[in-house]
Amino acid sequence: MRRLAMRLSVLSAAIGCLALLSCGGRHEKTTPEIVARGVATLPGDPEDRIWEKAPVHVATLLLQDMVEPRLLEASTTHVRIQALADGSRLAIRMSWDDSTRSDLLAPGKFGDACAVQFPVEGGADLPAPQMGEEGRPVEIAFWSAAWQALVDGRPRDIHAIYPGAKVDHYPYEAGSLEPGSSEQTAMESRYAPARAVGNPVAGPHDRPVQDLLAAGPGTLTPAERTLSDGKGRFASASWVVLVSRPLPATLAHTGRAQAAFAVWEGGNREAGARKMRTGWIPISLEEGR
Amino acid sequence: MALVHNWQLDRAMSYWYPESRPKKQFAAVFDTNKCIACQTCTLACKTTWTSGQGQEYMLWNNVESKPYGFYPLGWDVQLLERLGGQSWSGRHYEGRTIFEAAGAGERVLGWRPDELDYAYPNVGEDDSAGAELQTGAFMELPHTKWFFYLARICNHCTYPACLASCPRSSIYKRQEDGVVLIDQSRCRGYQECVRACPYKKTFFNPMTSTSEKCIGCFPKIEMGQQPQCFVNCIGKIRHVGWISRPEDARPDNPVDYLVHIRKVALPLYPQWGLEPNVYYIPPVHVPRSFLRMMFGPGVDHAIESYRKAPDDPDLVGLLSLFGSSPQIVPRWKRLGDSVIGLTEAGAEILRVPMKEPVHIRKAFDLAAGVTRTNTP
Repeated sequence: MRRLAMRLSVLSAAIGCLALLSCGGRHEKTTPEIVARGVATLPGDPEDRIWEKAPVHVATLLLQDMVEPRLLEASTTHVRIQALADGSRLAIRMSWDDSTRSDLLAPGKFGDACAVQFPVEGGADLPAPQMGEEGRPVEIAFWSAAWQALVDGRPRDIHAIYPGAKVDHYPYEAGSLEPGSSEQTAMESRYAPARAVGNPVAGPHDRPVQDLLAAGPGTLTPAERTLSDGKGRFASASWVVLVSRPLPATLAHTGRAQAAFAVWEGGNREAGARKMRTGWIPISLEEGR
Repeated sequence: MALVHNWQLDRAMSYWYPESRPKKQFAAVFDTNKCIACQTCTLACKTTWTSGQGQEYMLWNNVESKPYGFYPLGWDVQLLERLGGQSWSGRHYEGRTIFEAAGAGERVLGWRPDELDYAYPNVGEDDSAGAELQTGAFMELPHTKWFFYLARICNHCTYPACLASCPRSSIYKRQEDGVVLIDQSRCRGYQECVRACPYKKTFFNPMTSTSEKCIGCFPKIEMGQQPQCFVNCIGKIRHVGWISRPEDARPDNPVDYLVHIRKVALPLYPQWGLEPNVYYIPPVHVPRSFLRMMFGPGVDHAIESYRKAPDDPDLVGLLSLFGSSPQIVPRWKRLGDSVIGLTEAGAEILRVPMKEPVHIRKAFDLAAGVTRTNTP
């Protein structure tokens, strides 16, 4: 059933590309698949001028409407994808229109985000593009606008969210606790359980990207280490995000692989399974020019 | 979806996972008639568990004035309106639960509070209902105006909507005590549980980007101790214990006796289908139609039994055990005018007189040579 679903989603992505080429609303020039151009040095910024020369693949985004909770009304419709490779790493630039910048997480408030996914093992028989399958995992690099804001210097305290907040006292501010002491740190972590148990989403964040593994919906697990990095910028009602990661093994060995993408629109309260996503899209390495 | 049995509805119902009851189920009885809304429970919980950054707005325990008090704003009426009018036939629920009424693409019929819905923790406090209050209102008996205090914690439901809604299966129900917990190492803060919990007892922590909830003070429970909000209740309105299935009810189990045998304690919004495990002795002075909406069809029987408690030594005896020990009291018996709290093995934990002994002392203390003041 999942294979069928995967084939249908690849087919629908292909139809989406054809529609875009023939009569699509954006009339953007698009390559039929993602071409990763070889370069000597990968850029660290999504606004580096080198991207102007990289081919653009415009991918149509599909609703995640297969697994509950689903997204039933489309939000972000397209994501523009470019790629560069330097022999050991792959840099992917994603950009999409977004009228609302959402980079603050709070009760009822969600953040913009995007992700790129590759099958762990290559070959023609691909796992389901929706998070892989049992025994056939996928690896995912996830970028978060909220983490980007923290990396860019937003303080992680309540006043960053509610500037007028008045807090009487936190227990770890007690006069008997020396600032910076192990006792004080222990007291602080006692009231931040996710951080105390080492959940990476709880921070602190030294980068806006996290590497993850999945083998089917609901199985997302942090990778042992995050080797990816990235940078996102919001301007003129659109996000431009760079995610760089080690070159996927299949892509490095054969010059070809498949990738899938997802975009979350925080302003539409999208998170987790409520997202726009693509099916598998072929990606190939092109020698540098 | 699986078919499970919900005894509070007297029927089978749909749930996201198959029926899997824990070996023991945490349960509590709250006597609303004794609550004075002092919020000592709220502060006891707050200082113990939610005093960190990102937890400022969290109230795992709160006490609100019904009908106009809510935390978050409109938590129950918002869902009642979305679910629409439903009906009971006797003790059999004929309406739809929030699992059965889930819309396309959803696991649960829920709603997501806005940020500002958490901005009014004491909205409606002590506001009366029942008649328009104008200038010149005066005391009359019986009261036509009413409100009552509703103390709330997580219900550690048999069929938790938070657990059903989590796409990552980050929420679990402990087999050893039925306490429902969010795995803080696994949660990614999608806030699906905040949307799904009809009691709105899961909260998103914006500083850790995970959701958090009442943990039933499980470290204390594991030591045989009652949770913080129970031992700090100065009105002694709470009793914690373990509830059996109705067919296994034991008269020497305090919770079983009040819920299953005497049926004086009722679940909160049973029609939603979660089989919540905090049971309320309903307030005796509130219009029955309002109480039936809130506590189901057992309200009339519960109030009639409770009103007769002064002539009912077992019932009044058991109620006097509430708040009398920091230990969990899983068994009880009455001996004459005394009530005895017991361990599961039958060892005595405490003995409470049903009537406090009266000591009359002379106004002048001859030994000390002073006049006594009235400090009983």
